[in-house]
Amino acid sequence: MSATDTLEAKDPQPAPSVAQGRGSTRGRWGEKAALPIAWLVLFVVFAALAPDTFLSMGNIANILGSQSILFMLALAALLPTRSGDLDLSLGSIGGLSAIIVAVLNVRHGVSLPLACLAAVAVGALCGAFNGLFVVRFKTEPFIMTLGTGTLFGGLVFWIANSTTIVGVDRDLSMWTYLRQIGQVPVQFYYCLLVMLVIWYAMNYTPLGVRNLFVGQSREVAVLSGINADRIRFGAFTLAGVIASLAGILYVGTTGSAGPTSVETFLLPAYAAVFLGATTIQPGRFNALGTGVAVLFLATGTAGLQLLGAQDYAQQLFYGGALVAAVAISRYLRRT
Amino acid sequence: MTTTALELHSVSKTFGATKALQGVSMTVERGEVLALLGENGCGKSTLVKVVAGVYDPEPGARMLVDGREVSLPLEAGASRDLGLSFVHQDLGLARPLTVLENLLGGVAERSGSRLRIQWRSEARKARAMLRSYGVDVDPLAVINHLPPVEQALVAIARAAEELKQYRERTGATSSVLVLDEPTVFLPEEEVQFLFDLIRTIVASGASVVFISHDLPAVREIADRVTVLRDGKLAATARMSDVTDAEIVELIVGPAIAKLDAFGHGNVHGDGRPATAPPRVFDRSPGAGLHVTGLRGGQVRGLDLHVAPGEVVGLAGLLGSGAEEVPYLLFGAKQATGGELTLDGTTVPVARQQPATAVGMGLALIPADRRRDAIAPAVSVAENMMLLVVRRFAVRGWLRNRRLRGAADARAETLDVRPRRTDLPVGTLSGGNAQKVVVGKWLEIGPRVLLLHEPTQGVDIAARAEIYRVVRRATEDGMSVVWVSSDFDELATVCDRVVVVSGGVAGAEIPLRDITPEAITAGVYGASTSESTILPTVEQVAR
Repeated sequence: MSATDTLEAKDPQPAPSVAQGRGSTRGRWGEKAALPIAWLVLFVVFAALAPDTFLSMGNIANILGSQSILFMLALAALLPTRSGDLDLSLGSIGGLSAIIVAVLNVRHGVSLPLACLAAVAVGALCGAFNGLFVVRFKTEPFIMTLGTGTLFGGLVFWIANSTTIVGVDRDLSMWTYLRQIGQVPVQFYYCLLVMLVIWYAMNYTPLGVRNLFVGQSREVAVLSGINADRIRFGAFTLAGVIASLAGILYVGTTGSAGPTSVETFLLPAYAAVFLGATTIQPGRFNALGTGVAVLFLATGTAGLQLLGAQDYAQQLFYGGALVAAVAISRYLRRT
Repeated sequence: MTTTALELHSVSKTFGATKALQGVSMTVERGEVLALLGENGCGKSTLVKVVAGVYDPEPGARMLVDGREVSLPLEAGASRDLGLSFVHQDLGLARPLTVLENLLGGVAERSGSRLRIQWRSEARKARAMLRSYGVDVDPLAVINHLPPVEQALVAIARAAEELKQYRERTGATSSVLVLDEPTVFLPEEEVQFLFDLIRTIVASGASVVFISHDLPAVREIADRVTVLRDGKLAATARMSDVTDAEIVELIVGPAIAKLDAFGHGNVHGDGRPATAPPRVFDRSPGAGLHVTGLRGGQVRGLDLHVAPGEVVGLAGLLGSGAEEVPYLLFGAKQATGGELTLDGTTVPVARQQPATAVGMGLALIPADRRRDAIAPAVSVAENMMLLVVRRFAVRGWLRNRRLRGAADARAETLDVRPRRTDLPVGTLSGGNAQKVVVGKWLEIGPRVLLLHEPTQGVDIAARAEIYRVVRRATEDGMSVVWVSSDFDELATVCDRVVVVSGGVAGAEIPLRDITPEAITAGVYGASTSESTILPTVEQVAR
């Protein structure tokens, strides 16, 4: 049994100094930096292959800004994953929020702030719905959220009447996509803000530590008097809220919402979450790692597009990244 | 023609530095019930596993089945083709499946038949088969929906039927069924059904090896008894030739003085003066932990009182309910009744949740450390400080450096090795991980510490450290409920030991009489000359 080996038996290196990152479980520097290095390599390769286009400021701004929907959705997916669950309905929640903004604003003339508020409320409701069924009724989150996701997706079709709604107030695009800070759309900074808040909450609050135990060893958390159900429910609800923000960004970016919109970002979002668990705090699902992973994926797809790759290349890249990420993060979490 | 169904000669087995079996010989005669007795760790299960082909014995061992020499070691699964069958405590049934599916499972595997299963006729055959053993269970019932006794009957009937088919197939005249503690989870009145079944099986031509801790049961069903002690054969005798007291002495061995590692002077059980004055406890009604009428699982109305600073051991055989008490009190397992009074505040135990338990100052150190007590992938520091993590938050901002510093200091006093609180707990040895668990709970300054098998898989040095740390915490008035099947440990740490049997508290062993032998005698329902135990297990169980 591996529990009887001490680390000293396995790892004869001297103890690393205090400079080690906080909260790390496996302190090796190379592990933490592997993904950022891979990102850098990817960047250099594309820069060498297409120096004129890839290195242009416009492209770099595009890499940072265009993937904000993915970024936001990945942050949503991070929460239930961190507390040991899985939410496959987040794409549909984002889609539902998008269509609600569009329908309220275009068809019913509701003002933008109010329409967005309604969308966020619906996102919270959907998340709470997931939490209720998974946590209270103690069901398997995988299959349950596959079901609720389809349910929410059905609502989207119903509301949209299977058509794309265009003509959303330009102000929304202004506040998300068109306005820029240093040539990068403001929505990228919204994502950064959400990421930092999650990072803070997970690493610098008692709640974050409790959440860590709920995700890593639920029995231990329960037997330590932690209300694991409340934390899991909270994670689902908050994930719904953040997914609805992703939906709003979608409407801002495209100026429209259709029967399918944010759903397509679900797989790359999970790719980012699992890739993120291989870096910064290896073995833990963490917000900064997720951010780095999103940039890695964004760089890869943008580079492939510039090189004239077909659409399937993007799919291959996302899928391959998820497969590799899950395998690597599983390997890192072994004990 | 021989009269023995199974013979074992000079079976030895060593695990690392432990000699689990040393030249044990044993004979099972045709058509008899042989009881195999001994304390936990005496080598019973190792012996059974050698016969089953799970463990390879050391060279020199011999085994004869039905008078024929069998070459050792056995290959896995070979025991089946020798007419040996085993029913373990967990019964080996697939619980979500039906009785019929369980009965067919083994056959389908073996015959490798590709023919369609005729469910209706199979059900009829299964019903007839079960009836032939006097077992009246619907073959289409799901195992989980059956009461425990019927589950046991199905498992045993299945094994007996396998043996019968073996005899018909090979023309052999003997076969051996090994029952490993089948009565543990059964209420006493239902054990009779099991005995009827065993008698039917013996009448049909098999021998039965009956492993149990339950002396009255052994007395009723067995023809002969073989006792193992410390990996050696202690004795074999006809049941009619030995008294219960003699059997207990064979199990326990001659009394030996134990080390006083715990420092409360509790060295001797033979009346010699203790080296330290006994501690005085505040036994007033408002002080300490009072439990009345605790119910849930195997516990059926248990009363318990632990004074502030007192360490009370609960000793009982598996299935007695002792091992469930900590979980029930903590709310980790749902209780159905009973009240818990702590320092004058009374709460119904049925409403206890782990969160409320922690809130009232209860701490639980569970037996399954890796599943229930530590998050293996999370660091030592975070595991240790989980319960008090708020303490390190300043205006909602967690000071991780302070947390790490506090954990480092705690690791120093607990002697956690290596002194690396940034490592995942999973990389520590069992003993060091357990120190982390103890430290984690002592961090909240609990009023009551509940322990279940706290030193399982813990080396001797770490064990002594854990005893010392717990002992020191009792000086501040912490009450301790210590449940262990290691009676040496209970004798070392406890101020008082309560014997639990049939789900209620029975005999009490006061400090001056605590020895491993007295505890063993207590739980086996007999009394030795030195102890003052009055009721026996039989009396208590009623």
